[in-house]
Amino acid sequence: MDYKALGLKVGLEIHCQLETHKLFCKCPSILKEEKPDFTIKRFLRASLSELGEKDVVAEFEQEKNKYAIYEGFKENTCLVELDEAPPGKINHHALNTALQIALLLKMDVIPEIQFMRKQVLDYSNTSSFQRTALVAMNGLLNFNNKKISIQSLCLEEDAARKTLEDSEKIVYRLDRLGIPLLEIATGPDINDPEEAKKIAEYLGMMLKSTEKVKRGIGTIRQDLNVSINKGARVEIKGVQDLRSIPKVIENEVKRQLELINNGKKVQSEVRKANQDNTTNFMRPMPSSSRMYPETDVSLININKKDLLLIKLPELFTEKSLALEKKYNLSPELAYELVRQKIDLGKYIKFKLEPELITKILIEYPKDVRARNNLDISKLKENDFIEILKLVEKGIPKEAIPEMFTDILTKGKLNESKYEVVSASDIESEIKKLVEKNKALIKEKGEYSIGPLMGDVMKKYRGKVDAKKISDLIRKEIAKLS
Amino acid sequence: MNEGDLIQLLYNDKIVEGFVVKDSKDSLVLKLKNGYNIGIEKKNAKNIKIISKSTKSEKPKFKEQKHNNNLKTIMILHCGGTIASKVDYRTGGVVSRFNPEEILDMFPELNKIANIESEFIANMWSDDLRFEHFSLIAKSVEKQIKKGVDGIIIGMGTDNLAVASAAMSFILEKIPIPVIFVGAQRSSDRGSSDAGMNLLCAAEFIAKTDFAGVALCMHSSSSDNSCFILPACKTAKLHSSRRDAFKVVNDTAIAKVNYKSNQIEFIKKDYTKRNNEKVVIKPKLENKIGLLKIHINMSPEQFKFFKNYKGLIIEGTGLGHTPGHVPNPEAAINKKIFPAIKEVIDSGCIVVMTTQCLFGRVNMNVYDKGRDLINLGVIPGEDMLANTAFVKLAWLLGNYKKDEVKYMLNDNLRGEISERTKYEEEFI
Repeated sequence: MDYKALGLKVGLEIHCQLETHKLFCKCPSILKEEKPDFTIKRFLRASLSELGEKDVVAEFEQEKNKYAIYEGFKENTCLVELDEAPPGKINHHALNTALQIALLLKMDVIPEIQFMRKQVLDYSNTSSFQRTALVAMNGLLNFNNKKISIQSLCLEEDAARKTLEDSEKIVYRLDRLGIPLLEIATGPDINDPEEAKKIAEYLGMMLKSTEKVKRGIGTIRQDLNVSINKGARVEIKGVQDLRSIPKVIENEVKRQLELINNGKKVQSEVRKANQDNTTNFMRPMPSSSRMYPETDVSLININKKDLLLIKLPELFTEKSLALEKKYNLSPELAYELVRQKIDLGKYIKFKLEPELITKILIEYPKDVRARNNLDISKLKENDFIEILKLVEKGIPKEAIPEMFTDILTKGKLNESKYEVVSASDIESEIKKLVEKNKALIKEKGEYSIGPLMGDVMKKYRGKVDAKKISDLIRKEIAKLS
Repeated sequence: MNEGDLIQLLYNDKIVEGFVVKDSKDSLVLKLKNGYNIGIEKKNAKNIKIISKSTKSEKPKFKEQKHNNNLKTIMILHCGGTIASKVDYRTGGVVSRFNPEEILDMFPELNKIANIESEFIANMWSDDLRFEHFSLIAKSVEKQIKKGVDGIIIGMGTDNLAVASAAMSFILEKIPIPVIFVGAQRSSDRGSSDAGMNLLCAAEFIAKTDFAGVALCMHSSSSDNSCFILPACKTAKLHSSRRDAFKVVNDTAIAKVNYKSNQIEFIKKDYTKRNNEKVVIKPKLENKIGLLKIHINMSPEQFKFFKNYKGLIIEGTGLGHTPGHVPNPEAAINKKIFPAIKEVIDSGCIVVMTTQCLFGRVNMNVYDKGRDLINLGVIPGEDMLANTAFVKLAWLLGNYKKDEVKYMLNDNLRGEISERTKYEEEFI
């Protein structure tokens, strides 16, 4: 598709949970899958003539005959989540992370931050509103020499998570309610589906670089704003996987094109992303009037001095580039070191190529996991050091997977098993073999290397570099002719 | 530049557009088009331009309500609190709604329960209540009863809802109809507010039962399952924020109203029933009454402060005690406390003892201390809540002679004293 001709405009909204306690209480931000400790039943009500906003009305019309059951745990749910007590003091760690991101994105931080109540009448918030504040605006991201405007950075409370819905009730779990959430919205400056994915990836990397964001499924969520010429702005909520962004955009463009070609009007609306990258209508576009001030939280003053004290994190990409240069590593390996927070400095004392050390830290364990289905997260710093010691002694690389497997299955290394074989031993062994198989070699020439290799490897697998053996065999065969 | 104007300005060389929410000396609060409010320093805002002037928001039109002769009529008296209020989405201010049309717009189900009328008495914090306000309410109640309403709901802030209902139960000596106090713990701008359910349950209770007298109607639990109808003189707010903050002390609830099924279950059987008796109100209360909470390390001056007061309720410890004994040199100052109490009593002040334990009864015959206090002239307040004893004493002093007051203090007039302390497996 010629996206340029279609006038594709995409804006991203990235939501990301922060790794700290909840935004307005000290409850830990942990999700639980057990049976809840208690449940509470609630009804919501709204005076529709006053709301007047069609989005809120539409949302409420769907749910007004229902009630909610809220599931709570004593460990991570207090009166604040139950809407039985006003919010406490703001979580300053969360605010600080928000300010770090604001500065990284060259945004104007709001001097007086005011939390707002954003009406949500689908029962996902016990109070019927979400607390949210605009922390910064008007930022800029330079991405591959393209300027992407960053419209807003908001700090807000995550909603409760729905566990069940039937004709009479909706069941929500309160563990997620109140977890601090950052929302970054870009301007509609992206004109290509692949570019959207890359920018989402980059923003994700930036968030992770603070090392204060949650990791794992559902901790970062993407919304997309998509429009084309003659179409309309459509907000697509809940794209869980970065990789599906281009496909979701492509499908939305197709959907809008089809409507336009059939002479129909494209409605500006909110749609929900499905597993198969298609979308479904959710509700009309929200209007700004569904927000009013959260009077239980006082204004937060941010002065210039406070901002100067905020330390900016070194981005993963910057750290990775530095490692790449210092140790002559491949970009992928260097990035993995950073991503997994591995301190190469602890292991660099071994007289081995940094590339090999890094592979032992990252790639070999991954292969062992893939092949033998072992839990490599159990590996400790000392396990790596023991393996590196043996490799430094001269035990060939071929033995490394076996060493990891032994640690993970038997709990220890068996040094004699991967004992180093002396070069002269191998040479005499190969000489003997070549002598014994003269007839075969004469008949098959070069093609006899394969079967001969097989014989030698039976004895020396894991102890000698295979290439070294094939070279020696080749040399002996050459002598014969 | 006025509140509500749409303006444009340059902030850090970037254009910012929004409605003026608040324009103060150094800062400007704007509501941006995306709905967020932000505050910026005026000194950094350049080239301020007004794009459009504020427009007065139109008054919403409500359906006119027709009187239904088959339904009872309930009068809602507004005395503050958050029973019905709406949000001004532009400024975020919460405005109370008093008119029947506005109340019915928020709670349309009321229409099926009763004809709704309303009267505005005050919009205030309940902490700012004075005895004069009780007179205003009482006179309005009398007027409404004479007009023929079938029941009255009084909306008020929850912080002093219990003491107000206790005061009104003394003031309204004889009433043939129910008067139900209703509050809301969670503000009524939120869809989750308890205001609607508390109001609807109160209306349901008035419409469907033969109860007469003063009571409260509040959530029975954190869930929206049912409300309790609570006895006016025996109820205390025991939680600063929960919906079910109101608990009965040394008594039981009168009834339980199930929210969705509308079933009403009476817990008390011996309540006063609707009748045709003439209304009698005694709205006079003595103003010079105090309430003193006992704590350790008190000074005699704290007691002497109430010299020449007409009445003092002491919220004592345990069975009804104050400091006053000198077991060792460190406690030497305590020897001045009983004389200070004596001085207060001798000045003509009636001193009544209650307990800060809330639950249980005062008994001043168990220890020397209690006996000493009785000998000084302190009157044990049985199992009355301190707040209830406070308004009872003010009311008695407002309407009876001192000798009668002393005698009537220990009489159960409105359910404020229970003759027997019944056993409850869990008292709270």
